[in-house]
Amino acid sequence: MPLMTNLPISRHWHLFCRVIDNFGDIGVCWRLARQLQHQHGQQVTLWVDDLRSFHALCPALDVSVAEQQRQGVVIRYWAEEFPELTPEQTGDVVIEAFACELPASYITAMAQREQASCWINLEYLSAEDWVPGFHLSQSPVHNLSKTFFFPGFVAGTGGLLYEPGLANLPRQMAHLSARQTFLSGFGLSPSLADCALQISLFAYENPALEGLLDALQAFPRTVHLLVPAGRVSAGLDAWLGENTVAGHTYCRGALMLSVMPFISQPQYDQLLAMCDLNFVRGEESFVRAQMMGRPMLWHIYRQEEEAHLDKLEAFLGHYCRAGEGPAGSRLADAFRFWNQSLPAAALNDSQAQARWHELLHQLPVLQNHALAWQKQLLALGDLASNLVQYATDKV
Amino acid sequence: MKTANEFRAGQVLSLNGQAWVVLKAEFNKSGRNSAVVKMKLKNLLTGASQEPVFKADDKLEPIILERSQVTYSYFADPLYVFMDEEYNQIEVEKENLGDTLNFLTDGMTDVCEAVFYEGKAISIELPTTIVRTVSYTEPAVRGDTSGKVMKLAKLENGYELQVAAFVEIGDAVEIDTRTGEFKGRAKS
Repeated sequence: MPLMTNLPISRHWHLFCRVIDNFGDIGVCWRLARQLQHQHGQQVTLWVDDLRSFHALCPALDVSVAEQQRQGVVIRYWAEEFPELTPEQTGDVVIEAFACELPASYITAMAQREQASCWINLEYLSAEDWVPGFHLSQSPVHNLSKTFFFPGFVAGTGGLLYEPGLANLPRQMAHLSARQTFLSGFGLSPSLADCALQISLFAYENPALEGLLDALQAFPRTVHLLVPAGRVSAGLDAWLGENTVAGHTYCRGALMLSVMPFISQPQYDQLLAMCDLNFVRGEESFVRAQMMGRPMLWHIYRQEEEAHLDKLEAFLGHYCRAGEGPAGSRLADAFRFWNQSLPAAALNDSQAQARWHELLHQLPVLQNHALAWQKQLLALGDLASNLVQYATDKV
Repeated sequence: MKTANEFRAGQVLSLNGQAWVVLKAEFNKSGRNSAVVKMKLKNLLTGASQEPVFKADDKLEPIILERSQVTYSYFADPLYVFMDEEYNQIEVEKENLGDTLNFLTDGMTDVCEAVFYEGKAISIELPTTIVRTVSYTEPAVRGDTSGKVMKLAKLENGYELQVAAFVEIGDAVEIDTRTGEFKGRAKS
């Protein structure tokens, strides 16, 4: 049953999503659309320019149909030739996700509405200090006013995208039977749930991967590494010396490496919730791991002129402040190491191995740290609720 | 039309049919190679101000105004006085100078541009690159010549900015006036 309490007035939201690469854009938009509908009772239309990518996250989607309804959300194909809409057919609240440009005809129709739309540019997530100063700033464009809405980790931002029940999932997945059932669902042996450490790996191509796998192989306790298929798969194949197949487990020393197919968002949440450490990437998985209070290492999306490294440091400035003393500093270095921003550090030698082992030995401390951080984030409220509250005040 | 990230302090743009002078433009990379610009704008007719945000590639209409080359002379509170090539004194209100104030120093020889609206000087644009002397910074870090490690430095007028770790007191440094950022050590 959808959770609907103290619902605000139902408005028509139009959410525009351009899929640039990977599944981050559509992952965030699909999750937001469902939350607006299920939790807040809003009428949501999600415009997407790439239904094939969307299909990977929502297998029930028919990619040949331009307009359909899934899980209470109207999904419309955002074709290059955009349909002519009357002013009344535009949204009461219009969100352009990640600064995607709205169709010119849509803006024209929006400008002719009797009651102005609340037009929001939902921006990228960043922990940098300038973000609160930009959050909720107005942009006077096309004779309309657009609001820049920034997700974030601190007061004065829009918070992060999560559902109210998400924090309970780790407790559910802590049961051995839950983990066994999850593994069986992917054709993996339930006995793998008994391994001393469960680790998930979701990353971009990473030159530090070989050193990580060497370290896991030589770890004194058994490690189960679960890897959903993706951009890191070729690196795994190279290290193993064979082409991996989803549903198979490969044993190397202490390491049991299970390859998983592309998995749905709810399944990925379960995976994060059952693991002692999660390697996450981009924005979506990064946020989910934090909101579940699980230890994580972030592989940040690479940007031109190394701009991502400033963003990484800004995040660490907040995240590792929550970890006291040397543990916080070691944790920060682990993030830098995984993102190759420790220039002098060799990625794949015995020192790298010692570095990874030290991190794994610290996991109980990191678990406490992750829970303290989660508590801070929960105090900010969730992004969807913050958006609804803002739009309710505006429209 | 110009993109939002091309505007800098002193330039004038049209918004909703009105002329606004840019007092400050703050540029930040938001994510996946896109960027945002926050401007502090002052309405040239009403004096009202606003601080809008734009995507860096939003197109905005510049207003081309009369300009003349000037050099800085002196400060007569609340006016900054500049001199053009014909020795005319041009006065600009302190509040109209925005970020330009960070780089005004007595005796500076940089050739700037005064911008006029309806006969009145409304802003000053600095050259894109200027050279200033560091009056204080912590001692240089030995061994780092990469320019990637940064530290705080103070200029003679009190303005502080991040400079490369190898910069020392008395060094002349090049500054990008669009961003206020250190560009490198000035060639002697």
